[in-house]
Amino acid sequence: MRVLAVEDEPDLLGSLMKALREDGYAVDGAPDGEEGLYKAESYDYDAIVLDIMLPGIDGWELLRRLRKTKKTPVLMLTARDAVRDRVRGLDTGADDYLVKPFELAELLARLRALIRRSATQAQSRLEIGEVVIDTAARTVSRKGEPVTLTAREYSLVEFLALHRGKVVTRTMLYEHLFDENDNTLSNLLDVHVSNIRKKLGHDFITTRRGHGYCLESSP
Amino acid sequence: MIFNSIRWRLQAWHGLILVVVLTGFGFTAYQVARDNQLRRIDQDLDQRLMALLRPQPPDRPPDRPRDWQPDRPDQRPEPPLNEPRNERRFGSSDFLRRVREAVQQGGLLDSSQTNIFYYVLWQQDGSILARSPGAPADVPAPEHAMPPRPQAFPARDALGRPGPSEPGPPMLPVARTRGQIREVFRVMPQGESILAGRSMAPDLAAMRRLALWLMAAGTAVLLLGLAGGWWVATRAIRPIEDISATAVKIAGGDLSQRINAADTDSELGRLAGVLNSTFARLEAAFAQQARFTSDASHELRTPVSVILTQTQTALSRERTSPEYRETLEACQRAARRMRTLTESLLELARLDAGQEPMKRECFDLPRVARECVEMVRPLAAERGIQIHCEVPPLECLGDAGRIGQVVTNLLTNAIHFNRDQGEVRLSARAEDGAVLLAVADTGQGIPAEDVPHLFERFYRADKSRSRIQGRNGLGLAICKAIVDAHSGSIEVSSRPGVGSTFTVRLPLK
Repeated sequence: MRVLAVEDEPDLLGSLMKALREDGYAVDGAPDGEEGLYKAESYDYDAIVLDIMLPGIDGWELLRRLRKTKKTPVLMLTARDAVRDRVRGLDTGADDYLVKPFELAELLARLRALIRRSATQAQSRLEIGEVVIDTAARTVSRKGEPVTLTAREYSLVEFLALHRGKVVTRTMLYEHLFDENDNTLSNLLDVHVSNIRKKLGHDFITTRRGHGYCLESSP
Repeated sequence: MIFNSIRWRLQAWHGLILVVVLTGFGFTAYQVARDNQLRRIDQDLDQRLMALLRPQPPDRPPDRPRDWQPDRPDQRPEPPLNEPRNERRFGSSDFLRRVREAVQQGGLLDSSQTNIFYYVLWQQDGSILARSPGAPADVPAPEHAMPPRPQAFPARDALGRPGPSEPGPPMLPVARTRGQIREVFRVMPQGESILAGRSMAPDLAAMRRLALWLMAAGTAVLLLGLAGGWWVATRAIRPIEDISATAVKIAGGDLSQRINAADTDSELGRLAGVLNSTFARLEAAFAQQARFTSDASHELRTPVSVILTQTQTALSRERTSPEYRETLEACQRAARRMRTLTESLLELARLDAGQEPMKRECFDLPRVARECVEMVRPLAAERGIQIHCEVPPLECLGDAGRIGQVVTNLLTNAIHFNRDQGEVRLSARAEDGAVLLAVADTGQGIPAEDVPHLFERFYRADKSRSRIQGRNGLGLAICKAIVDAHSGSIEVSSRPGVGSTFTVRLPLK
């Protein structure tokens, strides 16, 4: 999962990105509205964490412009908690709203829910055959036995599971699993897939040669 | 209590006045009608008396009853002048005999209601000489039958009309009421008296009908008047109710409500206008207050979120020493920012409450200015900005420390919003019993739409730079509060692309 954090307070942006990255996301950051809008329009993020009070283009304006082209789920952050602001945020097209100061755990949970909803997945438990993925706990089990995955492997499994039945191209995987600072070589992806197949069964991920990978909806 | 409302009180007064007026009118109308009716009866009776008393040749048929019209004296029945003189004399035995016969016949004038009239003739001593057939038996003689008073009648003129020596015409008619009977009598010069009477029963019934009709009409008019009054009161009170309904909404917290003052020239329209402008000021004050609170909470929450997020991230797993250090430094920055902010807010609050007494002492302005310039010089040097201090020797009155704070703040702003290698000019001059202190920069200038709000709390003209420079948007508000406490004023003039000049005016008295 790749998310964008737009926040003008450097210390807050730094810790936010760090926390998100440690939670398994590929994270890009933007310190102001203009850069935030540019990045949000350039990549297909799985979610955007957007502060309202931004220098230059503020959060409202960024959201308004972004909504013309993209439906990326947006979690708005604001230090104003007036009902009017919240209503305005949701009406402008924000998908959720969090008032500063917030608990990191809540932010992460809301972000997970946003991404799940945008993948039309209501529950945090995903079942693919004998494999069960718990997106809240970030754990995977096979036949009831927990399977240990690296953060990158988990992200790959989760992304494929959220797009179950569809072909996921390698480009999509690069865009969603790695942030702009990652210098991952393409064969690393193959290594991750091979490792996952070892842990979860060879048939778990199907390779569509020339297209990408796919998790069959009913294996 | 609904009956205490203006509308009810208006209605009560209106009703009371209506009742008084209608009662008065009805009573007067009834009285006038009754008096008219009585006068008509009296005239009719007197006419019948006069018909009896008028000397008439026996062969002439009796006069038809004619309405007596006082305004047409030519129609007044007048005895013909060509009759023998003794025939015209009242009191002659012949005359008396004729009157007695006429009385006994029941009067000379016939009428559709002949049966209700009766006549009685008395002698001087009060004994009845004659009575008509329908006369009641108990008619009392006129008690005040007066002795003949020929002198009471004016002497006649040279045309041979009766003079004082001759017995004149009968005395003026006297009317009396006995129960439902009305009687008119005249006393003749010789002392006989003659009376005509009739029952007033039909007239009294008519008067009762009139009274009932008046009461019914009065009640109808009263009800109509009350309904009209209610309508008028409702119309008159509607704007008041509008005002009160709006005021209730405003009291309920919806300050955006306004009274619909369509008719601005009326008294209530003017009141509505005044109230509307008051509401507008109230709303503006509330909005400013709400914005201030919102801004203050925003400014306080941002560092709190930094501390929370930083610490939660740091504590989520084992960190290396440099990572902890980084977190602690971020927390320290946030805490410092909160300290500055809370200090500024407290200072503003104290200035607002007037708890920060300003010293009023003469101080040397150039010295204070130099100190301020020295304080900000390192900041200016970082960006190659030149500071020119052009303060002539001037004595200034006020709190030197506070004025220094204002100057430092203005200088810091001038450096922050300047271009690199720019200039800042601090100048002062005396003018009109005041000292004018000016801080000019060579920055980008301030957009015209921002100028009126510049001294508002948390207002930031340049939103993109404010946070980075760690300024909380209270500096100019504090400057203004301090200058205000000195009874001075602070103004700004700005030319885009050339620079801005902040001018502080401090009175010397």
